[in-house]
Amino acid sequence: MSETSERGGDDPGEEFEDLFNNAPCGYLSVLPDGRVARANARFATWSGFGQDAVVGRKLHELLSVATRIFFETNLSPLLRMQGFVDEVAMDFVTLSGPKMQCLVNAAERRDDAGNLLSTRFAIFLAAERRQYERALVDSKAAMERAAAAERENSELREQFIAILGHDLRNPLASISSGVRLLAQRETVSAKGQQILSLMQGSVMRASELVDNVLDFARGRLGGGITLARDANVPLTPVLEQVVAELRSIAPTRDIRSEFAIEEPVDCDRVRIGQLISNLLGNAITHGAPAWPILVQAYTHDEALVIVVANGGSPIDGPTMARLFQPFFRGDVRPKHVGLGLGLHIASEIAKAHGGTLTATSDAEVTRFTFVMPLRKTQAS
Amino acid sequence: MSVLERNNVKVAGAGARAMVFAHGFGCDQNMWRLVAPAFEDAFKTIMFDHVGAGSSDLSAYDPDKYGRLQGYADDLIAIGRELGLRDAVFVGHSVSAMIGVLASLSDPSMFSDLILVGPSPRYINDGAYIGGFDASDIDELLEALSDNHLGWSAMMAPIIMGNPDRPELGGELINSFCRTDPVIAKDFARVTFTSDNRADLARVTARTLILQCRDDAIAPETVGEYVRNNIPGSELIILDATGHCPNLSAPKDVIAAIRAFV
Repeated sequence: MSETSERGGDDPGEEFEDLFNNAPCGYLSVLPDGRVARANARFATWSGFGQDAVVGRKLHELLSVATRIFFETNLSPLLRMQGFVDEVAMDFVTLSGPKMQCLVNAAERRDDAGNLLSTRFAIFLAAERRQYERALVDSKAAMERAAAAERENSELREQFIAILGHDLRNPLASISSGVRLLAQRETVSAKGQQILSLMQGSVMRASELVDNVLDFARGRLGGGITLARDANVPLTPVLEQVVAELRSIAPTRDIRSEFAIEEPVDCDRVRIGQLISNLLGNAITHGAPAWPILVQAYTHDEALVIVVANGGSPIDGPTMARLFQPFFRGDVRPKHVGLGLGLHIASEIAKAHGGTLTATSDAEVTRFTFVMPLRKTQAS
Repeated sequence: MSVLERNNVKVAGAGARAMVFAHGFGCDQNMWRLVAPAFEDAFKTIMFDHVGAGSSDLSAYDPDKYGRLQGYADDLIAIGRELGLRDAVFVGHSVSAMIGVLASLSDPSMFSDLILVGPSPRYINDGAYIGGFDASDIDELLEALSDNHLGWSAMMAPIIMGNPDRPELGGELINSFCRTDPVIAKDFARVTFTSDNRADLARVTARTLILQCRDDAIAPETVGEYVRNNIPGSELIILDATGHCPNLSAPKDVIAAIRAFV
């Protein structure tokens, strides 16, 4: 390579000295004692001090106070240890006053023995970038504050629900036993008995709603659905009782049950009862009254299967997609009261058992199927 | 988690007497990597990271406890008790110099010797006292810290990459030295630069050596003299080094000064 081509061809403007002085970035080389050995014209112009005034000056005299502290406590150790730092934000002082906001790469030059010879700094004006980054930091902080406030709010709300739900249970239990006492021990007309039976149904329904709300609030509060599993106690009587209760609530509906649980099931019986009660409640609310509701529970192939099926108009696609989400109600006709928690809780109970709850629906039948392993698996 | 895990305590060396090295604001125990090994033949050397720095347990950070330097001093005492330290040598850089002073006041039997590297009992000017900074400078620093913790934040995984300029670093993590949690670093900066421990100096009973650099932008020479004048019987050595970190820029001088003193 000829000397001229090394020096940038025939263009005298591309000589090394000019490349250094008029590079589109500032350039400083600083000696181990902290004094500037060389500064390019670009930096001198930016800072306003002039090249002669910058050379020989202490680096920290060129830095803003905050940058000086940060440089001495953070950057300087890092430079000594790894030999370079990249993309650090530094502010330089200028003759005219305002700080010069920059991004800087720095690298040490060492001799063969590892002794520091000088530290070189490439300095890029970055006022807009720095402003943008500061705005990013600010908005992140604002977002975190907002999220924390929101979290606190929603925790309070859920605690409120949990406490309210809990406190509602006691008066409901009193009403329920009062109704039972009236029906069993007092002389009540036939019409009165009918009213009492309706009242009992309403109280049961209210209790279920409270249970679902409580479970939901507990889940949101991080408690999740807890299980008391026991494989030694039969499940069938619990299911029979749930079906009997729902028959008494909806005496006009034809609820058919087929139970064939032939192996022990390691489950929380109360929870499975709650699951089947929620599914049946759903079938009673949404199924066509003319069609029977079928409840099946059986053991098959190392699994417990529970199916609740009803007739009526099929569930449409969008509804199907959100079926198990909390507070989702497929339609809001006046008779369909409820919070939309029943199916959500049922699916949470299924998950807690390591099982699945799925739904299929066509013109003939809508079917909810719960499947869980008979024994607790590693995953559950 | 034990205090030894919490503060990432590293013990080395063979001596009967212990020498504890404490790092200051902005770095971690790596600060002592060029100094501590020189004492392993004659001392049991102990290095640690303050909570929030290096490989300390960040979950142990409690803004109330660490809102005062005494919180850091209590950690130092807990480490000393766990290791059964008596009449040990304490070497503290920057703010850890004052942390060591506080620890030695709380438990005078733990350290017989204090070596304070670039100490400052108060960074902010106060009447005739020249600490080197105005209160507004420190406010500006706290603001500015966010600018440089963008890329250094604990959220970002450190990048493993070769460093052609320093092949001896091999695949060490880039910027893994002196990593600090950005939020904690800001708190630590605040407590470091707003503390006032001038009144504590006169109560120090340990033998004390002060090492000061000739040209330290953080702790000027007059502050070193102030510390010498206020700690009874203390000795001040001005190192022929520049900057605030002679433990990195002039480790040989620091080693020689410590060796001569102990």
